Amino acid sequence: MPSKEDLKRRAAEIIDSKADELTALAKTILKNPEPGFREVKTAMLVAQQFGALGMQPRSGLGVTGVRADASGTSPGPTVAVLGELDSLIVSDHPHANPDTGAAHACGHHCQIAMMLGAAMALTNSDVLTSLAGRIAFMAVPAEEYIEIEFRNGLREQGKIEFLGGKAEFVRLGEFDDVHLAMMLHTTSNPAEKLMCISNTNNGTVAKRIQFIGRASHAGGAPHLGINALNAAMMAMTAINFNRETFRDEDSIRVHPIITKGGEAVSAVPADVRMETFVRGRTLEAIMDANAKVDRALKAGAMAVGAQVKIQTIPGYMPLQQNKAMAEIFRANAAVLVGEENVGYVDHRGGSTDMGDISHLMPVIHPYVGGATGLGHGATYVIEDYSLAVIKGAKALAYTVIDLLADYASQGNNIAGDQRPDMSIPEYLKFMRDLASEEVFDGA
Amino acid sequence: MATTVLTVEELKKLACETIEKRKKEIVGLAQQVLANPEAGFRETKTAQLVAQKFQELGIKHQGGLALTGLKGRIPGGAGPGPTVAVIGELDSLVVTEHPHADPETGAAHACGHHCQIGMMLGAAMGLLTPEVLSQLSGEIVPFAVPAEEFIEVEQRLEMREQGKLEFLGGKQELIRLGEFDDVDIAMMCHTASDMGERKFAMGGTSNGHVVKFVRYTGVGAHAGSMPHKGVNALNAASFAIQAINALRETHRADDTVRIHGIMTKGGEAVSAVPSDVRLEWRVRSSTPKMVVENSKAVDRCFRAGALAVGASVNITTIPGYLPMRHDTKLQEIFRRTAVDLLGERFTLVMPARRNRGGSTDMGDLSHLIPACHPYAAGATGPGHSKEYIITDYESAVIVPAKIMAMVVIDLLADGARRAKEIKANHRPLMTKQAYIKFQRERAEVTDFDGAA
Repeated sequence: MPSKEDLKRRAAEIIDSKADELTALAKTILKNPEPGFREVKTAMLVAQQFGALGMQPRSGLGVTGVRADASGTSPGPTVAVLGELDSLIVSDHPHANPDTGAAHACGHHCQIAMMLGAAMALTNSDVLTSLAGRIAFMAVPAEEYIEIEFRNGLREQGKIEFLGGKAEFVRLGEFDDVHLAMMLHTTSNPAEKLMCISNTNNGTVAKRIQFIGRASHAGGAPHLGINALNAAMMAMTAINFNRETFRDEDSIRVHPIITKGGEAVSAVPADVRMETFVRGRTLEAIMDANAKVDRALKAGAMAVGAQVKIQTIPGYMPLQQNKAMAEIFRANAAVLVGEENVGYVDHRGGSTDMGDISHLMPVIHPYVGGATGLGHGATYVIEDYSLAVIKGAKALAYTVIDLLADYASQGNNIAGDQRPDMSIPEYLKFMRDLASEEVFDGA
Repeated sequence: MATTVLTVEELKKLACETIEKRKKEIVGLAQQVLANPEAGFRETKTAQLVAQKFQELGIKHQGGLALTGLKGRIPGGAGPGPTVAVIGELDSLVVTEHPHADPETGAAHACGHHCQIGMMLGAAMGLLTPEVLSQLSGEIVPFAVPAEEFIEVEQRLEMREQGKLEFLGGKQELIRLGEFDDVDIAMMCHTASDMGERKFAMGGTSNGHVVKFVRYTGVGAHAGSMPHKGVNALNAASFAIQAINALRETHRADDTVRIHGIMTKGGEAVSAVPSDVRLEWRVRSSTPKMVVENSKAVDRCFRAGALAVGASVNITTIPGYLPMRHDTKLQEIFRRTAVDLLGERFTLVMPARRNRGGSTDMGDLSHLIPACHPYAAGATGPGHSKEYIITDYESAVIVPAKIMAMVVIDLLADGARRAKEIKANHRPLMTKQAYIKFQRERAEVTDFDGAA
């Protein structure tokens, strides 16, 4: 039986031979950006590719998700290799769709290409026959938590329950038979070097807030009005008054925007809307900050005698990566880009729904360079596809080989060692309980 | 002594001559009070000075009323009749930076009350002119009253707990104690700095108010190492103040709403999360109804502050003053007297609705008996500030002393015909019992836990 090194060498040959095709695939997706739960063209492309590799893809999972499995030759754990289908909306991005403003300003197009590259290598019989268990290739929708109104609409139509793609995959049972999961995200941060492993990411809850006051002529009868904009301002002030109680290590982020601030400058604003995330490093910290934010929102309403409607929407769980898997990835990254070019960051302030998966099973969510500019901004572009896609694909393939070759001894160990924080039913209950809507009358 | 009956004009002339003769002494008294400023319910030296002067003038008096008040009695020589009080306020403010501030206590006469003591004694001297007094009926009560300025609330609440006081304003307390039960008509004059060329002004009204003592309780913690364990009472109070400011656009100009306060404790050490923050606040409006409405809105803001950070708040609402209602007939006597003395050009009558924004416990008294509270020129600078100085003692002390003496003569000469008329025509807005009940009902202590 070939050694792991032999298998990785073979995987590298396959990926190298498909390098141009993979880069072209990434660029095709780049040119057809589609935001979450709308990734129709991207999903079709993925399904075609899965089919061409001899797998039987299942499409339409969580509206647009696609999954295809490849089984090894002996029993063992299932490793999910994920790629995220969705774009952001950044209308001034150089690759933005002029009609929709959709743009790949977070490099997800590379994720799909590298997942397909890994699939090309791992489904090749030279490799697959030496692996145990199973690989589940998942093109998941809607990682970016945007277009809340649109997604709420989908929810009301019964098309989704949760607003993030991976939570939908979990709800639909797509992770029921998965034991380990991994994906690789692009990065533009030079401090993260060419490849980077990390430990944790913030989790988040999302909130939609409406302050309801009473309109009146702002010049003629302000004494008859209740100023909902003042309530919102006071609420933001109250949030700021709580910041000193947020611990550094909890990495709390509360960053509201006002989506409606009044209707006419001559009327006392009576309907003011706000959206915010409440992010933090642990669930406990998020729930603590969330309670403070709720209290602050109510204080804003009470300050002027307005009402506030607070809708809390489950967001993403904090990400905590499996250290043993991360070490396997790090070693492979060192082979691919050199030991000195592998970075480490302990915590990142952003959020990903890979965090949800990390509460259910061992996962990794490392980073690969090749991008420049600011993530989620107009300047975020992929400069080096050979790193972001080709080496990325190899890193994923090598890591799967390490986990599933040798009768999946490493994969089994890792899957056996980590007790999940939650079972899938517990997770679903938690998410459902978190969704809440409250009306508070400050008068 | 001649027994000839003098005309009212002759009586006035004699009284004014006495005041004119003793001018230096009268101004000197005012300046002596200026040099010994004492805040409300602590006016012991000032009260001592008044007692000494009463003694010298042969005025029978009783002291220690509402702690420091003094009530003199000057019976007229023409038989029984109504009692007219001429009031002077004993207390100073606390304005540490005032040029005449007591360096130890910060007390300063930044509202001209020292002139009131001067003019009250001056008027008494004029009325004590034997030819004058012999022709007056009834009784004159020169009344030195404590604590018109509603300040040092926490200290006064302590006095209340010790049973020394019930109400925190001097005249309120004197009403409760029955010291105005035997007074039929009351007057006083206040100095003013905003009168242009006018020397004497009357009319208008003042704001009613309630006073708040607010105490936020948070959780203290090391502000550097454990801020997450703390609950910042200063942030709670800061939020409440901003919330109050957010309400200002809802105040109608007609209601003359004034909401203002100070922080009397803002934390103990900069290295600790403040857990005990205290405020004294004031809610003023032109009518008792708007005082109640704005008081409720302000309470909501204070509770919102507690809710904002999860602190708790204790709000003590203290009944404050009622809007001033001048007796129109008494005011008309003041007007004519001022015009006679100063001329039309230097006399101002403000429309009844003109609200100067401040508050006085003379407003409380004016709800019970005919009262008048005109203004005398002579001051410069904004009232209650370090710049409020009496620059013209003639206008600030001598003129109002003469005017009040003359008004008393108008009231009590001729068998006290005018005083009796005013008394008979007056329809009090409240009885004393109703007043005390109303004020007691406004007193309230509420607790709100923003963390619950």
